[in-house]
This record gives sequence, C-alpha cells and structure tokens, in this order.
Amino acid sequence: MTAALLGVLGYFGFGIICFLIPRARFLSALALVCGTISFAVWAPGFPRGHLGLGDWAIPWEGDALAAAFWGLSLFLHAVLLLEEVGKPRHFYALLTLLFGTVLSLVLSRDLFNLYVSLELTSLIAFLLVGLEGRAAQVWASLKYLILTSCGMILYLLGVGFIYARAGSLSLPALSAMPPDTAIRLGVGLLLAGAAAKGGVFLYAQWLPTAHGYAPSSVSAVLSGLVVKMGIVAMARIAGAYGAGDVLVALGLITGFLGIYHAFWEKRIKVFLAYSTMSQLGYMLLGFGGGDWGGALTYAVAHGLFKPLLFLAAGRAEDEAGTHLIQRLAGKLMLSTRLGLGLGTVAIAGLPPLAGYAAKGLLFLNLPPWGKWALFALSVGTAASFSKLLPTIVRGRKGWKPTWGQFTLGLVVVGGGVALCIGKASLLAPSSLISGLGAIAAGYVVFHLLRKLPFRPPHWRLDESLLALFLAGCALLFWVLLH
Amino acid sequence: MAAQIGTVLGIGLVFLGFGALLLRRSLIWKLLGLNVASGGAIVFLVALSHRPGAVPPLSGYPEGTPSADPLPQALVLTAIVIHFATLALSLAYAISLTERFHTQETGRIEAASEEEMER
Repeated sequence: MTAALLGVLGYFGFGIICFLIPRARFLSALALVCGTISFAVWAPGFPRGHLGLGDWAIPWEGDALAAAFWGLSLFLHAVLLLEEVGKPRHFYALLTLLFGTVLSLVLSRDLFNLYVSLELTSLIAFLLVGLEGRAAQVWASLKYLILTSCGMILYLLGVGFIYARAGSLSLPALSAMPPDTAIRLGVGLLLAGAAAKGGVFLYAQWLPTAHGYAPSSVSAVLSGLVVKMGIVAMARIAGAYGAGDVLVALGLITGFLGIYHAFWEKRIKVFLAYSTMSQLGYMLLGFGGGDWGGALTYAVAHGLFKPLLFLAAGRAEDEAGTHLIQRLAGKLMLSTRLGLGLGTVAIAGLPPLAGYAAKGLLFLNLPPWGKWALFALSVGTAASFSKLLPTIVRGRKGWKPTWGQFTLGLVVVGGGVALCIGKASLLAPSSLISGLGAIAAGYVVFHLLRKLPFRPPHWRLDESLLALFLAGCALLFWVLLH
Repeated sequence: MAAQIGTVLGIGLVFLGFGALLLRRSLIWKLLGLNVASGGAIVFLVALSHRPGAVPPLSGYPEGTPSADPLPQALVLTAIVIHFATLALSLAYAISLTERFHTQETGRIEAASEEEMER
C-alpha cells in the first residue's frame, strides 16, 4: 500500500524540484524510475487501503483500471522524455506533475479526492496548452479553462448533494445507498461535470482547439492520457451507482458526432482531436456495457497510437509549414510519413496492430446492437482517416526518425501482435474479415461523401457553453427519472 | 432555516453566474460570472453542512453539544484555493489577449486568434 503512495509522492517531489534546478529532464527521468519501481511493487497484489484517520480516511484501491493507467502513463512519460530534448525546465516540471496527478487520480475511491485530482490535471493542462504563448493557443486554453470550470462547479454541487444524503464521500458508501432524489440529483451533476472534463461531445467543445492548437507533445499526452481521466471518473461514479446505460448513450453521442466533425475537418491536429472525441465513445460503450477489460484495453491502445499520430502530425506541420491536410501532400519526409501511416492504419483497425486487437476484444462482449454500433464507428473512423492517404503516400525521401515516435510505433505493432497471439479468436477468419471489411467500407464511404457540401457547425465559446448547459440539464433529467 | 436560505442562495448564485457567462460578451464579465458561480457552489456546500446550535469541535468544547461537521469546511477551503488559482490564471490569459487584440469582446478575440493561426 505504501509503495503506490510513495510513487505518487516521488512524482510530486521531483516535479516541484524540476522548477528549481536546471537539469529538469534528468530529474523528470528520476521521477519515472521512482514511479516504475513503485508500480512493480504494488501492482502484483492489487492492494487497497485508507489514507488518513478514522471516519475521514480517504479510501483508495489499486485495481486493473489503476494498473492499466499507471502502465500507460509511465510509458508515455518515457516516450515524451525521449522525444523532447532541451525544452525549458518548467515544461518538464509541469509534465512530471501532470503524470503524478494522473497516477494518484486512478487510485482514488473518494469523490472529493477525484475532484481535486481532476482540477489539478486541468490546471496543469491549461498551463501546458498556452505554454508557447501564441494567441490561438492562449484562447484555446482559456476556452478549456472556462468550460471545464463550469463542469467542475456542477461536479462540486453533486458532491454536496451526495454528502448531505449519504454522509460520506467514498464511492463504496455511495454504492450501498438506496437511490432517492438527492442521490440521483447528485449523481447526475457528478456525471455531467466529469463529462465536461472527459471530452464527451456537447459537454466538452473545448477539446478540438485545446488539443488541436497545443504544442504537439502536449497534445499527445492530453489526448492519449489526460482526457481519459474524466472518463475514469465517470466510469467509477456510474459503476458505484449503476448508471451504465447513461454511459452507453453518451458514448454513442460522442462517437458519432465526433466522427461527423472529424470527417469534414481540414486542419490536421484539430481533425485528430475530433477523432479523439469519437474514440472516447468506444471506451464509454465498454465501461457502460460492463466490459471493463475491453474498455481498458482500448483506452491503452488509443493512448499509444493517438500520441504517435499527434507527434507525427506536429513534425508534419513543421516540415510543410501549414496545418491544412490538403497542402501537406508531397512535402513530408519518409520518417514522418511512416509515423502518420502507422498511426492511421492502427486507428483504422488493420490486423494485427494494437487498434485492431483492442477493437476486437471490445467487440467480443458487446450485445448485438452494440456490435453494429461499433462496426459503424469503425467504418466512420476509417472513412475520416482516408483523407490522410495522399499525405502518407506522396512525399520527400528524407529520413529523420525520432526516438519517441520509434518507441510508440514499436509498441503499437508489438502490443497488437502479442494480443492477437494471446487471444486466438482475434485471428479467426470472421473477425479478420470484419476488421478488413470496415476499412474497405470506410474507404468507399469517404469517396462517396467527400464531395457533398456538408459543413458541421463551428463551436465558438458561447455555443459550447450553451451546449454544455443544455446537455447537462438533459443528463440531469434522465438520471432523475432513472 | 438558515440552512435552507443558504442552499437556495448558493444555487441562485450558480444560476446567476452561469447566466452572466452565457449572456455577457465581455471576457472580464464572463470570468466574473464564472467566479460568482463557483462562489455559489461554495455557499451551497457550507449551507448543507449547517447544524443548528453546533459549536466548533476544538479541544475542550462542552460535552454533549452537537459539533459542527469539519469535513465540508475542509472541502470548501480546498475548493476556494483551486478557484483562486483558476481565476488568477484566467485573468493572466485575459490580460495577454487584451493587450494583443485591444478588445475584450470574446467573439472578436476568438476570430482574431483563429486568423493568426491561419497565417
């Protein structure tokens, strides 16, 4: 039990020292070593415990979810340390603190502890998004701040309702309560608040610009890891209260609306951000349907190929001097194109890469309608990513790979192959055909639809706020009538 | 009675703040609205934990009298610190944007910053 907490403390300690001492990258690596040792010690036992005294102790538990996210964040930390050399020291300091907060968040089983961790990840993320100080980045960060703060106010009200009724903030105590009006109201507010933090479409319209305009390595960690913390909070709350169907509905909304926007988006990183919103739908479908294993595998797989795509997209923007997808073709180096290409086929679900294996595992345990929804989402993903093909195929010959992208690519391939070997049903002809069929169908859909004059709405601040409040009210009424 | 007034006041402040956030166009007004709403959430939390006749549970308080619940106070202190940090950061960003574009209207700031990204 102390091992896990020492790992978190190590991260916070080294993170704060990073601000003070010039060799910040080295100190951040020390935090990584500290976290890895702690993970190796606590993970085999899945410990649980209480932090603090008597009635007010904060419950925490290391379960499969915590272990999956610890593994993912330690790995992404290593990748970013390999990728980013010679940045200012506050960059490494904020990054270390961000990873430390994520490590503590996934262990927590207390509503208020979750609130503080969520707010801390947001605060560090606001700073990281606006770090370079370009106007668009500052505005994206401010929009992120305003919308998530609204969500967190809703969350705080929810905490108040639950505490007034249950007299406790721990999630195990919440699951033992008979659901009455106050508890329902509280759970509705908590879910709406966590959805605003967790990148669910309509609740979190800050995501396209915040992830799309941030520096690429920051986008990679925000999309790969941090945005899923809201999803983790939703999964924990809905799991304690028994509101899986709400998560499934939110998953379908964010899955399909995200695809719809991604399909028409022209700016490469904003396109990847919309795709993240739709990918979160897969995880919500898994968590809501009770298949935590599938949802976690998908969360980790997405946490591998989406950072690869963001890092490659950042290189592509630098090499071509533009962020419009149609102008990138012909200007990118072979190494960048390989990174983009591997990420694209992985997210589209080409066997036997990580995207295919995770999607296949999620597919196994869904009810029939869920299988159809997942298949439709896969077709949409393949269709929206088809527009990157000219960029990947045509380009220059230059070869300048980066260590971060290389490591990510290796794990995307290796992890997928390992999963396919471990789970024989993934290599059965029927699942291979459905995987390849989705890609082929997506390519056809892309060519059928791309000439149509649809343009999805532009989400400015006021529209985003209105969407958050209206969708929050709808969620609240639904949980009240639950 | 005090508890009911407090909870209603808290929720009212949250609605007032969210209203200002939606309807006002000026960035500073929006941030003020956000701060009023977070203040409302704090009033709500404090009011919910009110117990009539309770005294602070410090050492040596009279036996048998109901003690005030310290947990919500601890939560509220934490929340106030977080809201302070968020407000400070958002005002710093607001200053930076206003200096660059010489306007506080969010629509114009948004359009101008998008334009800068296209270049």
